[in-house]
Amino acid sequence: MNSSVTSIKLVLLGEAAVGKSSIVLRFVSNDFSENKEPTIGAAFLTQRVNIGEQTVKFEIWDTAGQERFASLAPMYYRNAQAALVVYDITKPQSFIKARHWVKELHEQASKGIVIALVGNKLDMIENGGERKVAKEEAEKLAEEEGLLFFETSAKSGENVNEVFLGIGEKIPIKKPGEQANEQSGLRITDDQRVDLTNSVNGPVRSAGCNC
Amino acid sequence: MDLDESYVDDRRERANEPLYIPPIAAEPTTSINLAQTLFQPSEFDESLEDQLAQSISSCDRRHPLVSTEIPNVFPHRYDKNFLILTSAGKPIYAMKDGDGTIAYMGVIHTIMNYFKLKEDQDLRCIENGDVRFAFLDREPIVLVAYSARGETSNELFSQLDFLHSYLLSSLSERQLSKIFSKRQNFDLRNFLESTDFENLDEICSLLCERLYPDALLGALRSLSMKKSHRAQLHEAMSQQLTKEKDLPRGTLLYGLIVAPENKLCSVLRPKGHTLHTTDLHLLFCLIFHRFQNLDDSQELWVPICFPKFNANGFLYGYIKFLPKCNSILVLISAQKDAFFNLKSFADHLIKDISSNGLLEEIHKAKGFKISDIPAPLVHHFIYKSKKHVQYVMPELELHSDTEPEQLIELERKFMTYYQQIHNSVVRDDGLAFNKSCLNFIRWDSDAIEPSEEPIAMLGLGWITPKFELYLICNNGVDDKHVIFESAKRIISWCRKHESRLFVNEGAIF
Repeated sequence: MNSSVTSIKLVLLGEAAVGKSSIVLRFVSNDFSENKEPTIGAAFLTQRVNIGEQTVKFEIWDTAGQERFASLAPMYYRNAQAALVVYDITKPQSFIKARHWVKELHEQASKGIVIALVGNKLDMIENGGERKVAKEEAEKLAEEEGLLFFETSAKSGENVNEVFLGIGEKIPIKKPGEQANEQSGLRITDDQRVDLTNSVNGPVRSAGCNC
Repeated sequence: MDLDESYVDDRRERANEPLYIPPIAAEPTTSINLAQTLFQPSEFDESLEDQLAQSISSCDRRHPLVSTEIPNVFPHRYDKNFLILTSAGKPIYAMKDGDGTIAYMGVIHTIMNYFKLKEDQDLRCIENGDVRFAFLDREPIVLVAYSARGETSNELFSQLDFLHSYLLSSLSERQLSKIFSKRQNFDLRNFLESTDFENLDEICSLLCERLYPDALLGALRSLSMKKSHRAQLHEAMSQQLTKEKDLPRGTLLYGLIVAPENKLCSVLRPKGHTLHTTDLHLLFCLIFHRFQNLDDSQELWVPICFPKFNANGFLYGYIKFLPKCNSILVLISAQKDAFFNLKSFADHLIKDISSNGLLEEIHKAKGFKISDIPAPLVHHFIYKSKKHVQYVMPELELHSDTEPEQLIELERKFMTYYQQIHNSVVRDDGLAFNKSCLNFIRWDSDAIEPSEEPIAMLGLGWITPKFELYLICNNGVDDKHVIFESAKRIISWCRKHESRLFVNEGAIF
């Protein structure tokens, strides 16, 4: 039995048709479908994963990439603890859009938000397609802005779980000080959320120590 | 297209000379009143006996292909198109031949403006022989329909209004006027998304190709299910609403369960409020086209403008695919951050109705067949209850290996019959000729080859203040007395089973 389940609120942002829904579908259902219909509005999904000893419940907002819905985005990232900013490595325009999203998140989202920059459609390169966004360029952005960085393929599944695990490990699950409280039965809820404002400055210990 | 003989009734059309019945034949050849109908002697001749035998065998489940008996008397390819342009004359959308029709947009724009300036009134309709143009000016959008199908102007106007409503549902009136007040010559195509064009295509195809009487009748199709099950469903909805303490009053505006094929299953609504049928048609279209591939792991939060409710603002729809029954739960709120409130309501409701088996009951509700009703010689019908603003019709009985093209062919044929029957009892402005009105309509044609049956199709349209009935008979039936009796039986059957066929009040709060 899990002593506690921690929820991580996560939002996906990025230009239309870069594969946001496909990444989520791969992560949640380990599935892929060609020609997926564009998302309208936003879709909400959940997935539980074990990271070390800890069960983490991802509450995922998969937003529509279409420009018309962009004004609704703050509603989804406002309280998010993590964001996936997705671009298509064969479409330079989508990387420009990704830069904009990173900037907006740093300005508008909650302070300690963990952002992962994700270049999707790696399979297209492997099948002879042309890469238009250099890995170095994305790595540079990630370094400057303090982002996690991954290149993935939702189609083959490559690196997709790693993105979520990476986020799960980076988000401080709990402070050691809270452990004692929890063990004595206080403040344990099935749906406990990570309090970012407290934990950012506190000692960070990724994964484990849930004895 | 190589079609299987058994499904196609237009064998003649594939001969060198396509069968073409001039539209005049489609107009009512007989218009009789009730008294005449009642006392018409029924001649029980041999051909009728044959028909009767055929009709009986058609009720037999081993021969479900009743549809093959209904010939297609309409020309194969109708010329029809919808065009949408801006008031400045810029093209937005064309149902077909997009590139070719762009050239006409300027001409249309000029003609419309000529009437505005010279005659000081809007151009509404042009008729030339069988062809009709209808114009709908909804500044800053102009919509044009072109049809050789014999629809009334009113029907074309309502189709155009439906397309216009779609644009509003996606953009809202406020956003549209904002865009065009800045720049009159704005190219709206740059603002619409690929999904908008796909949705417009789908709506046009529903209006022109499918058996979709929803728009023609201004009614919703309802799911037939046991009265007690529907009552339990509504009870569960009401109960959940009173239990949900965290749901602030006014958060939930409207709740719906929609079964496959856009059939309304149940409704949760505030007292004294209903949503406009057009708004629900739009919502159902969106569900039907966009969310059919949902699995029950996702929940959607979709902004949608209901143009007849409030063309200037957006409402938000919580949409969830219900496990075990292929249906969709929709909860509507005016608050854009109400998702988690509605989600909690939905989670509890779904838990409740799946634990007591109601979800399976929705899944099991399979509609009815024409053979369930003792109405001899009737092939298919549509019954609309005006009080409920809903209609029902028997399920089309299809062979399991029916190809999609054959289905479309069949649906279009049915729809054309129904359009013509409907148009025989309404005036050009869409109102019935009389408060109550009954009309038989007949399509005749000799067999081209001696081995084939001649076409003698009879239809009936019957409008009263309480209901509308449109029915198609089996081919060769000409006994109006029998048909009238069958029509009466259908009506009393529908009335008897009213609470099973229609969603009455719904759950009211």
